[in-house]
Amino acid sequence: MATESETLQRSGRFQYAEIRGKAFEAILIAATLVGLVALILLFGFMFFDAFGPLSASLEWYLLFFSTLVAPVSAFTLYCRRNPAARTANARASAAVFGGLVLSLAAYIVLRAMSPYGPLVYLITVSSMPLSVAVYGRYTENSYFVGPAMVLAMLLAIVWTFGSEVLLFPLLDAVFGLGNDLLGGVPVLGSVPVPVGRGLLVTAIAVGVPTLALANSVLRRRTSRAGILAVFAVLGLSAAGTAGLDQLIRPILEVLPIWSAYAGVIGLPVTGILALLITRQRGMRAGITAVVAVVGGGLAVVAIASAVSMDPSLWVVLFFGMGVPTAYVVGEAVISDRDGRVGVAGPFVILGGILVGAYLERLLSVTGPDSWVTPTLLTNSWNGLTATEAGAYPSIVGSIMIVSFMALMAFPVGVGAAIYLEEYAPDTGWKGRLTNLVELNIANLAGVPSVVYGLLGLALFQNLLNFAPGLVFSAAATLGFLILPIVIVSAQEALKAVPDSLREASYGMGASRWQTIRSVVLPEAVPGILTGTILALGRAIGETAPLIIIAVPTTTFTTPGGLFSSGAAVPLRIFSASANFAPEYRKGVVAALAIVLLVLMLTMNAIAIVIRNRYQQ
Amino acid sequence: MTDDKSADGVTRGVSRRKFVTAAGVTGVVALAGCTSDDDGGNGNGEGGNGNGDGGNGGNGNGDGGNGNGGNGNGDGNGNGNTELTGSIRVSGSSTVFPVAQAVGRQFTDMHPEVSFDLSKDGSGGGFRNVFIPGDSDINNASRPIKDGELQDCQDNGIDPIEFRIAQDALTVVVNNNADWVDEMTVSTVGEIWSPESPPETWADVNSDWPDEEFELFGAATTSGTFDYFTEEVVGEEGAIREDYEGTERDDQIAAGVSGSEYAFGYLPFAYYVNNPDQVKALAISHEGGDAVEPSLEAAQSGEYPLARPLFFYVNNNKLAEKPTLQEFVRYYIEQSGKDFIASDIGYVPSSDDQVQSNLDTLEQNI
Repeated sequence: MATESETLQRSGRFQYAEIRGKAFEAILIAATLVGLVALILLFGFMFFDAFGPLSASLEWYLLFFSTLVAPVSAFTLYCRRNPAARTANARASAAVFGGLVLSLAAYIVLRAMSPYGPLVYLITVSSMPLSVAVYGRYTENSYFVGPAMVLAMLLAIVWTFGSEVLLFPLLDAVFGLGNDLLGGVPVLGSVPVPVGRGLLVTAIAVGVPTLALANSVLRRRTSRAGILAVFAVLGLSAAGTAGLDQLIRPILEVLPIWSAYAGVIGLPVTGILALLITRQRGMRAGITAVVAVVGGGLAVVAIASAVSMDPSLWVVLFFGMGVPTAYVVGEAVISDRDGRVGVAGPFVILGGILVGAYLERLLSVTGPDSWVTPTLLTNSWNGLTATEAGAYPSIVGSIMIVSFMALMAFPVGVGAAIYLEEYAPDTGWKGRLTNLVELNIANLAGVPSVVYGLLGLALFQNLLNFAPGLVFSAAATLGFLILPIVIVSAQEALKAVPDSLREASYGMGASRWQTIRSVVLPEAVPGILTGTILALGRAIGETAPLIIIAVPTTTFTTPGGLFSSGAAVPLRIFSASANFAPEYRKGVVAALAIVLLVLMLTMNAIAIVIRNRYQQ
Repeated sequence: MTDDKSADGVTRGVSRRKFVTAAGVTGVVALAGCTSDDDGGNGNGEGGNGNGDGGNGGNGNGDGGNGNGGNGNGDGNGNGNTELTGSIRVSGSSTVFPVAQAVGRQFTDMHPEVSFDLSKDGSGGGFRNVFIPGDSDINNASRPIKDGELQDCQDNGIDPIEFRIAQDALTVVVNNNADWVDEMTVSTVGEIWSPESPPETWADVNSDWPDEEFELFGAATTSGTFDYFTEEVVGEEGAIREDYEGTERDDQIAAGVSGSEYAFGYLPFAYYVNNPDQVKALAISHEGGDAVEPSLEAAQSGEYPLARPLFFYVNNNKLAEKPTLQEFVRYYIEQSGKDFIASDIGYVPSSDDQVQSNLDTLEQNI
């Protein structure tokens, strides 16, 4: 044996192979290094331009390290040794920072759109699924409650969204046509429509389905249950219709504005909390929690009013950040003996920042000459003085575009993926058709974004005659862009669920619907959400489609709603990078890029948190 | 959106199915909340207009988002209350962009309810894609409107009103290291850029210059600067040699010229005056005349050969029906005579006479 390998080693062929292997490895290392070094340099330059770290004094760095870096590192080291504390730390950080970021995002978007509208919709839309859920609690045969929930949600979407987007323009078109036709007759043309548009929309949205059902019930001569169904449809469609918005809104607008914020953010948060605590510790604890939360909210309002501040932001922060944090911390303190210390993690960071900022002001230490300032985040744009330039409208616009895009692309994409993966036939000519569809979807995922921009231009501006650059068109265009990515990643997640699970479920007599809902989907959720959120991260930076659908580069007010002109951070960057003053092209653009990166990283962080939650 | 994320912070110990359900419910609610915002945005409009006259789509602002509705926001809103509301959309020239940006900011500072949208499409691009279809209220232009564009406007029922607001000194630039040239006649510049027998090298134009190939940087064809340059300098509108880099972005022209020793290009004066070290500006002369350095004074006095007027055009129909737009146009005109146009941006402001004559034009058209 030994002699044989010796001969082999001595032969030139073996040596040559060895050298070739080494050279290949060296090339791979070089490739990795080139890529990494280039990226690090690029981001390093951007970081330097944005934060100007060289202009900070030594004292500032000392302060920075002693108040923030040192405590956080020490705490992290401690947590590394103690796995329970690490888990608690991660959970508390997710609650605090996730809650903070999402509360702020929700607040600025609601403030831009006025919170009364969302409140109306919260009430009208959630009443349908909620009433189904309540019914399901008190009924004996609850096997249809699950599908009914899904159906109620879909109905809610179709009714609110459909009547809003389709019925109103349709009515306008009909009125317009009527005007054109009757305009020649002087008397008829000037007759006003007897009822308000809101009432008319409600009447149509409620009446048509009810009449249709009543007709079929009468024709079949069914029992009392059939008649009840007529009333159910009547009620449900009334609850979902958008026309009600115009009827209910004036009643709601009497309420102070903070209560609208509290309604939109607080109601769902309190509801979920009550559900969780009731489930874990019983009804009594649940009621106590709700009372505590509501009382806390009122206390926040009282305190804010007492010092004559607008309580809206504080109410949102209380419900969006305070309540989840209190829940996570409380739970850890009560039941997690080992990990209890871990919940201090986020507070060490927050405390470090606050103490550092306070000391910096107290000792008047020279900080870095940063372009990422409160001005940049909260002011509107200034094209002449770089230090006063802000991107608030663009940030709000980007958040609105991305969140609405997610709401449009997620249900459609996941629905398509579930159908293609679980239901679509995979044999015979139908199977070939499915394959063709899947192949095309995979190809669509690679279509350049400019092409989707043209699609949006053709669809919304040329065909539907929308005004240019609406938030809605931008969100929908980007929604088309990420739809194939969502479908493909959701399909991958569903494929990754082992077939043995499905077979076991079928073996126990579950139907396909039950299997998908209770076995496949919960298993696939982390993959689906991760893929989707990564797609959102891609969409938030898209610039080309927005330019094509003529989203304005500069606007000084936040978008008032889905159908007003949008704004977006990437366009702000694009425009500022051509500004004639050099400090824009260096400092402001780099700072805006940091803002965009932070928005994207926040979404990626959410994706990671969700994935980790479910992969435990 | 928010709720289902904060929900996931607190969803420990609950089954995944419940989470899916809860997230779904909040998602639906959030979706529905988002759809409402068109009403939210136009809440001000509803109060003033009332819903009764469903007869014309005019008060249908935003809902459904039909194009006219979206733009019609301003209609009538200003009648009932003194606070200006509605939206103003400005498109067009990247040369005029800084002026419109500054004026728009001041205007929205005074009237925070007004939504002011500004885009940078180039003079021609703005006319063709946004102004002529009736989507924008104002189009900025760094050259007068062309006959074809005027015809298209009139075909669409628009009679654009012209306002001349400022003056630019189109600046011809070379690399800082190009020590062989300090001045040039207009016809030489035209010769370099002419489509017939374009010179390959600097020496082809003047034997004293180095025998190196030109690298040319100029405005894109959608730009009013391009139209002005081809008409006034090259001699025929739209005629230009093909081997140059055209862009709508002045910073890229400057970057291109500063990056190559044998480069040649042209820029708005505002860009040059704010970045004087990046490139070298040439003094320009008429045939036989004295060469004049580009400056605001020379542009104002007319000595500088490449001084050109800047304009904005207003859609007359929109002007007639939107009080907010009238107020903005008045403000735009008044501001165009202010000193910041020269000191902060780098154009020649309108003279007092010019401002007055613009205001007269405006009053005639309201």
